[in-house]
Amino acid sequence: MSYPSKLQGIIDLFESLPDSGKRENLIAFSDGARRWEPQEGELFDLEDVRKDEECTDTVGVFLKVDELGACYFKITLGPQVQTLTKAMTTVLCKGLEGVPPQEILDLPSDFVPKIVGAELVRQRSQTTYYILTRMKSSVKVFLNRQRARQVEQ
Amino acid sequence: MNETLVQEALVSTQWVAERLGDSDIRIIESNEDVLLYDTGHLPNAVHIDWRADLQDDPIRDYISPKAFAELCGKNGIGKDTLCVFYGDKSNWWAAYALWAFQLFGHTNVKLMNGGREKWIAEGRELTRERPEITPTSYPIPEKRLDDEVRAFYQDTLEHSQGSKPLIDVRSPGEFKGEVTHMPEYPQEGVLRGGHVPGAKSVPWKTAVNDDGTFKSIDELRDIYEGQCGLQKTDDVIVYCRIGERSSHTWFVLKYLLGYENVRNYDGSWTEWGNMVRSPIEKGE
Repeated sequence: MSYPSKLQGIIDLFESLPDSGKRENLIAFSDGARRWEPQEGELFDLEDVRKDEECTDTVGVFLKVDELGACYFKITLGPQVQTLTKAMTTVLCKGLEGVPPQEILDLPSDFVPKIVGAELVRQRSQTTYYILTRMKSSVKVFLNRQRARQVEQ
Repeated sequence: MNETLVQEALVSTQWVAERLGDSDIRIIESNEDVLLYDTGHLPNAVHIDWRADLQDDPIRDYISPKAFAELCGKNGIGKDTLCVFYGDKSNWWAAYALWAFQLFGHTNVKLMNGGREKWIAEGRELTRERPEITPTSYPIPEKRLDDEVRAFYQDTLEHSQGSKPLIDVRSPGEFKGEVTHMPEYPQEGVLRGGHVPGAKSVPWKTAVNDDGTFKSIDELRDIYEGQCGLQKTDDVIVYCRIGERSSHTWFVLKYLLGYENVRNYDGSWTEWGNMVRSPIEKGE
């Protein structure tokens, strides 16, 4: 399975690391999560801010799709969100930059253990998969709305 | 709070701040968020992961006395070292780790009141630097003291059938059987909702203030003795979903109110609620 190139780069980086290196990089990625928050006045095609049972705090997913059909995500995280969720926010916002909607929907989640490590996935499966699930959900809603508009026209 | 009791079991963030470099003390962080320690911790604090370090996963049990001695040794903990625990979530996992240390007879322990959140709220120092540890040779405990501090399914069943004190510390919704996990978490891990017949509901949270610190001894006495009807001489079993929230209440009863006979049923609702032929009650 080939992944979007930026995501593949991140996967390759983590796969080359021992467990301790994976942890260090996850912390570095979690530190970077705030860089993926929306800027003041930034406009999006879809905004989905909510608190689910799968996550310990509110998560907002902001999706922009440009004229070429490439997706760009921004994400807001509540203060109680766990470190792994913050790390996956950076991994996914960065790794899926410029990827077409359908490719995001088709993306299998089997890369997550390669990044996080099997042990952490086993302990925190809800947390590690949550952000990807939310991103896919936003893309799906975006595509449904786009199709509905096309039918109306 | 009663100062004598507090000095024995609870220490303030200020008390810890003044002793960060004390070689007779080991500060231990235990969290729900498994990566939180790596994002910053108290200077010189070590990390004990409630799952990876304390559990023997293949048999759903705690580690052996030998493994405990190794864990202590690599973290620079000697038989007489004072272990001060703190963590996230109002000290749930810190209380759990402290309780687990009791299984091996390491009773020189304290809890930092208010935990990690209070330390951060006060603007105190955090570091990512891991402490340099000189390993110790911790003597292997003769046995794990399961009978003294831990309750099993059969103990809890006999308590239920004998109308002895059973305290369910989960949220009211979990006690009533409306949900199977605490609010804000996935509803997973157990087939049935409800509580052990005869158990009384005293959510763990009733013991703490908004900032995660424990309420005063008088307030705690009113909650557990005035309202719940416990007596200091009672043989009490506490439980929750997997044993961490009940460790928090175990700490209150054992260390803050001075109960001699209080045990934590660590199998808790994930065992009881799933066990074939185990009786349950629903509702208030």
